Amino acid sequence: MYQLVKDFLNGLWNENPTFRMIIGMCPTLAVTTAAMNGIAMGLATTFVLVFSSLLISLLRNFIPAKVRIPCFIIVIATFVTVVDLFMAAYFPAIHKILGLFVPLIVVNCTIMARAEAFASKVTPPRAVADALGMGLGFTWAITLIGAVRELMGSGTLFGYHVLGEGATHWVIMLLPPGAFITMGILLGIMNVITRKSARDIQCH
Amino acid sequence: MNQYARMIVVLLIFSVLSGAVLAFSYEIANPKIQEHAMKNLEESIKNVLPGTTKYEQVEKEGMTFYLGLDDQGNKKGIAFKATGQGFGGPIEMMVGYDPKEGKLTGLQILSMAETPGLGARIQEPAFTEQFKGKSVNDPFEPKKDVQVITGATISPAGVASGIKSALEKVTKIYPVGGDY
Repeated sequence: MYQLVKDFLNGLWNENPTFRMIIGMCPTLAVTTAAMNGIAMGLATTFVLVFSSLLISLLRNFIPAKVRIPCFIIVIATFVTVVDLFMAAYFPAIHKILGLFVPLIVVNCTIMARAEAFASKVTPPRAVADALGMGLGFTWAITLIGAVRELMGSGTLFGYHVLGEGATHWVIMLLPPGAFITMGILLGIMNVITRKSARDIQCH
Repeated sequence: MNQYARMIVVLLIFSVLSGAVLAFSYEIANPKIQEHAMKNLEESIKNVLPGTTKYEQVEKEGMTFYLGLDDQGNKKGIAFKATGQGFGGPIEMMVGYDPKEGKLTGLQILSMAETPGLGARIQEPAFTEQFKGKSVNDPFEPKKDVQVITGATISPAGVASGIKSALEKVTKIYPVGGDY
């Protein structure tokens, strides 16, 4: 049980896919123009991550090592397509917002990396705990980036006007360079926090 | 079984199962998706042709037109699809046209890939409403008779020129002042 909690928490901070491992950058930089996009993309990715990790963990002894990558890709791509189809059929409103991004989940290497580095080596419960942690870690990270860009770029947060009418909108924050700027600054802040807490532990 | 045969068999099983899952999901989801597409089409027609409650599809000279009718069967105008070239790709739109008056009755952006917060604001009523009541003989030039969006000039220009070039064809098929 302790191991499962540890696996789950790992993705939230210590090995956060966005701020620690810097993987899955394509969707991170592409969709984070608003906080809501971050949540939706994060949860859709979490869904695919959990189910593909579970399946890969269950089949880990059946998949020959030499063809494991094509097998992982088939599993991931199938899940993404199924999610895409059912979202379009039953949640058309969400699909309209996320339509372009859902196929992007296939190329999110967080999923591939967890399948390769973790799910294919451990038992299903551990694989699911890790996938949940990684997925939610990815979700909070891209939601934060989305919130910063949305606030500075359009003066809103989750669609609500936060800054007054007079506030200057930094259009660059909504464009691709804004994604890199935000990402870099947040990454720096994360590093400062981690270093500081490491020093505190040494002092005591 | 030697390892090569095993590799091939496993990959084959994965592919076949994946194909089966996808075919099955598609069979379930597709009717729903088609239904939504039909509903969206109908909504966009009603949106660009105010007062319309039902529509008829008409094919004329390679173009598809949607003839808007109200409950009494009165014609409310013609809707058609137009495509403009935007900043991030094609902009698809539904345009409402009243041949009797020679005026546009509405505009709705159906799909586009413009920059969020900038070009993407062509979807907002603040931009689309200006085309309501516009004469089809207007020049449709950005910054002259078409208001643009600050920081985004290409997207509104794409919309304007898309409508204009579609209208050139449409007004030949349904001339201004003529019956339809």
